Amino acid sequence: MSLPQSLRTSVTPPELELIASQQLIEIIPLIAIEKTAFISGAFGPLQPPRKAQIPLWMAINLKLKKKCHIVAPEWLSVEFLQSRLDEEINEPGFSKLPFRYAEVSKLLLDVQVTFAPDDIQSTDKIRYLLKDLREARQAKSREGVDQINRGELSLSNLCSMEINEIRPFFVHAMGILTHLHRDASAEDQP
Amino acid sequence: MDNDYFSIDAILAENQKIQCKFKQRIPEMGHLGGGSERDILPLSKRQIPIWLAYIIVYSDWADFDIPQPFSNKVRNALRAEPRSVRLSNLVGAGAGWYVLGKTIMDMLGDEQGVEMSEMLITTFKGRLVDVIDQAQHFAVLGSVGGGGGGGVDSAPQMFREGLDTTERELFVLAQESARRMKKWHEEGSGGAKRVL
Repeated sequence: MSLPQSLRTSVTPPELELIASQQLIEIIPLIAIEKTAFISGAFGPLQPPRKAQIPLWMAINLKLKKKCHIVAPEWLSVEFLQSRLDEEINEPGFSKLPFRYAEVSKLLLDVQVTFAPDDIQSTDKIRYLLKDLREARQAKSREGVDQINRGELSLSNLCSMEINEIRPFFVHAMGILTHLHRDASAEDQP
Repeated sequence: MDNDYFSIDAILAENQKIQCKFKQRIPEMGHLGGGSERDILPLSKRQIPIWLAYIIVYSDWADFDIPQPFSNKVRNALRAEPRSVRLSNLVGAGAGWYVLGKTIMDMLGDEQGVEMSEMLITTFKGRLVDVIDQAQHFAVLGSVGGGGGGGVDSAPQMFREGLDTTERELFVLAQESARRMKKWHEEGSGGAKRVL
């Protein structure tokens, strides 16, 4: 295969971002659009000022053209993230976060900062909280390395980016452990 | 690193020589160990590559000793502190310590084999956390950071130089994924957002 070794067992972060962009998000449209057919399905009609659900990629696109306001998902707020961060620090095990929180939050926060700082409050604080969350979880997954064995490894509530980051390493290490293992009752011959 | 016929790691590992003590007399084979006799006499020792030794031991013509990279001295050092042993020095260039260990383990009987397997696994797990840590640290510095260690970094640097080939592969994997993540986080909005 011509793919570099590290890409053979995982996807790249921009690819995950693309997959996450298909999630539906709520917006307040500023213009009217009829029901339109896209490859992934039909969305609309958009009738201001009624709220509508459209995919994230479309919402960001409209936002850049200043044609909608994005309603932030409920988990992207200071209170929610702060409570999760406290939970992360105080308890073993990972706290429950939306599966693609890293990608969605990056997409939304970047749009806010660059183009229209009005829909999400206190973006800086949210960024810090997200960074702290990420680091706390990373520290915990390092502890998970100790539990690694050749059979299975269970880390619940890990999110899509984190899984993708540790997957090549963990899978390869588990493969090596399988090779090194020798059963007590095993064979003696070729 | 497996028993695959084409696996380069396995081929390199099998090229290592181990000390064999012959139990029977083997005529006309004196050249194997580089000696000058015509025959191999019983109870004489020769250094034989593993790929050849395997059949010889299996057919019960010789016994072999556990080679130096896995001697008791090394085992004790590993039991004390797995991270301080430089695995790359124990075995010659090209072969890995783990791969060699596995090849030998396959030849050993049950009891010794299990003991060896436990030693390999414990060592591996002990060093694994450090491999990850260093890989993530180096993802930050990028490829330039390797040379800039100097006096401050010498302990991690020595660990890195002492890594076995299998550990180096893991190091590279972890470093790559960490680097990609970092790059993605720092990049502004890319991709679809540029379309206007």
